[in-house]
Amino acid sequence: MSDDWIEISDENINVEEIMQKIRERTACHASVSSPDDSDKPEMAAEALWAEMIQDPINASTFLKGFQIHQRDCDIVPRYYVIDWRIPILGPIHAVIRRLINAEVRRYLLPSLKKQSSFNLRVRRALKELAQENTRLCQEIEKLQQDQNTGQP
Amino acid sequence: MQVHQFHPTVSFGDAISNQILSLQSLLRRMGYRSEIFCERLPTHFEGRARHMSQYASYSSSTNVLLSHFSLGYSPAVLDWLGKVPDRKVIVYHNITPHKYFAGINDVYLEAAQAGREQLNHLSKVTEAGWGDSTFNCQELAEHGWTDPKVLPIVFEPKRYRIRPDRKVLKRWQDGLNVLFVGRVSPNKRFEDIILTFYYLKRFVRPDARLFLVGAAQGMETYLEFLQALVKRLDLPDVIFTGHVSGPQLMAYYRCASVYLSMSEHEGFGVPLLESMHFGVPIVAYQAAAVPETLDGSGILVKEKNYAAVAELIGLLAEDDNLRARIVAQQRERLEDFLPERVGARLEEILGSPSA
Repeated sequence: MSDDWIEISDENINVEEIMQKIRERTACHASVSSPDDSDKPEMAAEALWAEMIQDPINASTFLKGFQIHQRDCDIVPRYYVIDWRIPILGPIHAVIRRLINAEVRRYLLPSLKKQSSFNLRVRRALKELAQENTRLCQEIEKLQQDQNTGQP
Repeated sequence: MQVHQFHPTVSFGDAISNQILSLQSLLRRMGYRSEIFCERLPTHFEGRARHMSQYASYSSSTNVLLSHFSLGYSPAVLDWLGKVPDRKVIVYHNITPHKYFAGINDVYLEAAQAGREQLNHLSKVTEAGWGDSTFNCQELAEHGWTDPKVLPIVFEPKRYRIRPDRKVLKRWQDGLNVLFVGRVSPNKRFEDIILTFYYLKRFVRPDARLFLVGAAQGMETYLEFLQALVKRLDLPDVIFTGHVSGPQLMAYYRCASVYLSMSEHEGFGVPLLESMHFGVPIVAYQAAAVPETLDGSGILVKEKNYAAVAELIGLLAEDDNLRARIVAQQRERLEDFLPERVGARLEEILGSPSA
């Protein structure tokens, strides 16, 4: 943490004193928190970002450039909103739709959740296969190079 | 001379539409005839705005047309703007850099990319460029405008004279409440707010709550990531409110102890002004137009040291004197955005939009 990491323009506020207090207090965190960096919330956020957003299965040789994102595996409609813009008719319409939807969801949701969970497991398996495939390709390439150069 | 405004669409409550309405009333007060034109006219806005096809009867080479730009224009609008003989001024509200949408929303990514590319073209067909902030003006200058002018956002306190939602007030009024208001979007770095809150909750104030107020339409993937992060960190008391009504927004500001922004890209930052108005001390990461909007008020953070920011929030909550001084300075800064001040600035730059 640099010495001027916060900026307060009011001359009547003792910024140095505030920084000192913060330094002392954050120093206490170390005694409470785990020494293992992998437990840090920052690491969890990075890993999750990579897993959910940045890391589609994208092995060009394996899947011919087709990407599978984790988000595509979840097929449950979680953000479905029932609304209607015409006044008076709106509430009646919304109630009817809500009742129908509740009934449809009652038997449909378990299947969709099951399918989403299956999709996620398939994605994980495909990811491992893609990684294994890349590793094997590299191995084959290396063996061919060795064969061409006559090395054992 | 008449001064009209154009934006692809207008609605109640969003920052650009509010600015358009505020400018219209300022222009009318100055004696100009001033109307609002749109490409897509929402039904609930009828009477307050007209469709761009009606502009022909208003158009004149002596008129000024303020064309607000925030995400990009359709080919029809670009074509229309090219043909209109009026003295055209781009009012730039900034476009989120497309890199933030990678892996999150391809439509937004492409729209942001295309919108920024349009700036180069627009610099050739408009007489002048205005931005809400120097930050926005710098970008206009990079795209070919000479000497762009700053026209800040108008803050109208009367818009906030709404009775706060009683249910929200009753439920959340006690304790340390950290607030952020803004559309759920990756440039606003919600994950950094959540990480700061993790340290706040674990080491400083276990009773703290975090309110993340804003719609997530089109950002479902990012929202899912944020919700998964909250779950993985086992963080209770993180409340994603989604879109809220006016009274609910007033109530969240009234309940807030500290406003925390970790945003990396803001063209201006209207919620910062709202926090100033409601007397909520601001802790904000120094990025884009945020330092300029605060201009010495609030507390600027130059490094994303989550643990330290959490301690700072704790200090602000416990030290009444510090809090009062910060809030007083913020209120002083807010005066720069009141209609009289911005009106004077508008009059000054309207004298000669490009001079």
